[in-house]
Amino acid sequence: MDIEDPSFWRAGAISTTLVMLIVLAFLSIDSMRVISVGGANVPKYDVINHRIGYEFDWSRNASVPVIGGPEPLFGKAVTEAEATALMESGKLVIQSRACMDCHTIFGNGAYYAPDLTKAWLDPAWQQIWMPMTGKATREDAMVEFLMHPDKYPTWTRAMPNLQLTEDEARATVAYLKWLSAIDTNGFPANFGPSGQQP
Amino acid sequence: MYRSQKLSLRYYTAAIALFGVMNLFGLLSALYYLYPSLLFNVFNFNMSKIMHIDTLVIWLLMGFLGAVYWYLPKELGREVEGMWLAELVFWVFCAAVAVVAVVFLFVQYGGANQFSLWFINQGRKYVEAPRWAALGIVVVMLVFAYNVVATCIKARRMTGIMWVLVLDLIPLLAVYLDAFPATTNMSVDLYWWWWLVHMWVESTWEVLIGCVMALVLMDVVGTSRRIVEAWLYIEVMLVLGAGILGLGHHYFWIGTPQYWLSVGGFFSALEPLPLLGMVVHAIYDAGSHGMKTNNQPAFYWITAEAFGNFIGAGIWGFMMTLPQINLFSHGTQWTVSHGHFAFYGAYVCGVIAVLYVAKQQVSGVDVLTGRAWKWGFGLLNFGMIGMVMALLMAGMAQAFFERAIGGSTLMAFTSASENPWFKSGMYARMFFGVVFVSGYVVLVYDLLTAPKRVPAAQAQPVAA
Amino acid sequence: MTPAALLETASLMGLFALAGGGYGGLYSIGRLWTRPGLIQAGGACWIAAFVIALTIAVRTPLDVGWKLLILASALVYAVIPPVTWRYLERLHDQQESNQ
Repeated sequence: MDIEDPSFWRAGAISTTLVMLIVLAFLSIDSMRVISVGGANVPKYDVINHRIGYEFDWSRNASVPVIGGPEPLFGKAVTEAEATALMESGKLVIQSRACMDCHTIFGNGAYYAPDLTKAWLDPAWQQIWMPMTGKATREDAMVEFLMHPDKYPTWTRAMPNLQLTEDEARATVAYLKWLSAIDTNGFPANFGPSGQQP
Repeated sequence: MYRSQKLSLRYYTAAIALFGVMNLFGLLSALYYLYPSLLFNVFNFNMSKIMHIDTLVIWLLMGFLGAVYWYLPKELGREVEGMWLAELVFWVFCAAVAVVAVVFLFVQYGGANQFSLWFINQGRKYVEAPRWAALGIVVVMLVFAYNVVATCIKARRMTGIMWVLVLDLIPLLAVYLDAFPATTNMSVDLYWWWWLVHMWVESTWEVLIGCVMALVLMDVVGTSRRIVEAWLYIEVMLVLGAGILGLGHHYFWIGTPQYWLSVGGFFSALEPLPLLGMVVHAIYDAGSHGMKTNNQPAFYWITAEAFGNFIGAGIWGFMMTLPQINLFSHGTQWTVSHGHFAFYGAYVCGVIAVLYVAKQQVSGVDVLTGRAWKWGFGLLNFGMIGMVMALLMAGMAQAFFERAIGGSTLMAFTSASENPWFKSGMYARMFFGVVFVSGYVVLVYDLLTAPKRVPAAQAQPVAA
Repeated sequence: MTPAALLETASLMGLFALAGGGYGGLYSIGRLWTRPGLIQAGGACWIAAFVIALTIAVRTPLDVGWKLLILASALVYAVIPPVTWRYLERLHDQQESNQ
């Protein structure tokens, strides 16, 4: 073994890289199984027909989403196909308006505005925006806010008006509700009153 | 001077101009935190941030391309193959960047449809540029790959460094294709998006800059090829050995299985170790030639790269990489602090070093020294360290008040952002941002002014 | 992890890596200029890194696996600078004898 010889290290570099890539490939195949829609961690899109909670689970030592009984979004249950169409549209809103260049989702994005991972579950909708917008439900308040965020500022750093149509706003709300049902290994921690570690 | 070196100078010029644009929008983005009503509904924070980070990616990429076009003919002893195509593509690249910038500045966003993604904004961090422009970057990179490979074939010569470079171009291009999808499922979307962001920034770019630094070391301090090649292989082995599965530290919280907490935490905790070796190597190289160099600024910037990489990527990364800490630090200004320091240490310092290498040859002086570069060096480093310390303070306050105590709700976010620790951090960041930009101004001034002529016999010692 | 423990743990982790880097830097400069004082200062940095690693192991709420990893990397830190230095010397010596 001649460690001064570059070819020794070349062999090391190639073999290390190959081993790591093979391990990564296997882990990625397994991860895709878990994070595909309907996989262990990511619910089907029609989960929006259900109540979603976020509670601390002692066995996992982390907060986890809890899917409850029926609670259809906008009071009307959707089929899986309808839910999928809503999600496709909602994701396009999030990309076309560059939401993640102010907000984060799963902590990824920009840090000028709050994280949206569990935005659906944020107590502020009931505490602030339902009274402010005069809407009777959380989802209606969200739609109204998303369409005219500059009319309902809560703080100096207000959200700009990104000209969302009503359909776009409803799709975004549906997307945020589905997002909150994804198991994110406990991120964010201690979220809201229900996710607090007792 | 080879024709490809003239192209290289054009790439450097474009890179340094975009470095300026990046600084400008960095300052603007910082200003929104202090004056949130600034340009409200006219030019919002998200667009400013997009300009800031997209120009960062593009200017560093242009710097790398320039560096390779600079060294390729020297390394292979002949002109680069397909230069007319490379020159054409340079102008296409610049025009595309300008068009995208105009669209970002004046159109900004569109409706929720495919047209917006193709022509206005893709809304995926770092790769917001519309799809047509992303395709354009693929074309640029393909032409670049063609230039490199065809030149190697024509020259009938392959050096170890060229092998590493050519092999690195394959994943560099392959993962870039990841800039296009609009996967509905956010978990899957982010899974592959991280392949692009992490594999570029923490793997393929590391290897690319490793190749460039190997060439610079042979050039500036005259290290022998056998040594730089052995070292380059070691570096590739360690960087990819820890970096490929270090990808896992981005898979803690995006819906991915729990085992990523262990895999990502373990491999990213190893990342400082090779960086420490590089610090030792940089110091050894500084000394092995009697502390003499003919290009003082390039030499200092290479050394700054080794230290900056260790501190920015190593220390700052290590601090927040274990899942139990990352649960609270992830997605706060703490991340911003790490991101700034790591990019600066790993790449910015290296690209500035190659700019000085080019300056020396262009101005034809045997010894490059002077005073202005020292001011640039000092102000840029001082400004960056100040910024990351300020952001660290703000980020720790945010992790503490918003995440750990408040539980990440809107109210928690708001109150943490009003906390005096956070706010003073933001003011301090602005101040040091201005210092950094003044360093940039001095750097540009120094690069553009003709150097003093010093005889070779008076090669400057690099340290007291 | 409590809010206070979060900041304490992260700061200790940062200081640990910083001390490790200080050791690598001082050791190398000490070897370069043949100043034993600097090499000793580097050694002191490593001792500091090790003490910090022990503090992390004893005081912080990190899982035991992470604590072991940090203690192990403290030991690896100890060998990286001298081993790298010796390797670089061998590499250069061999190069010179070839010339």
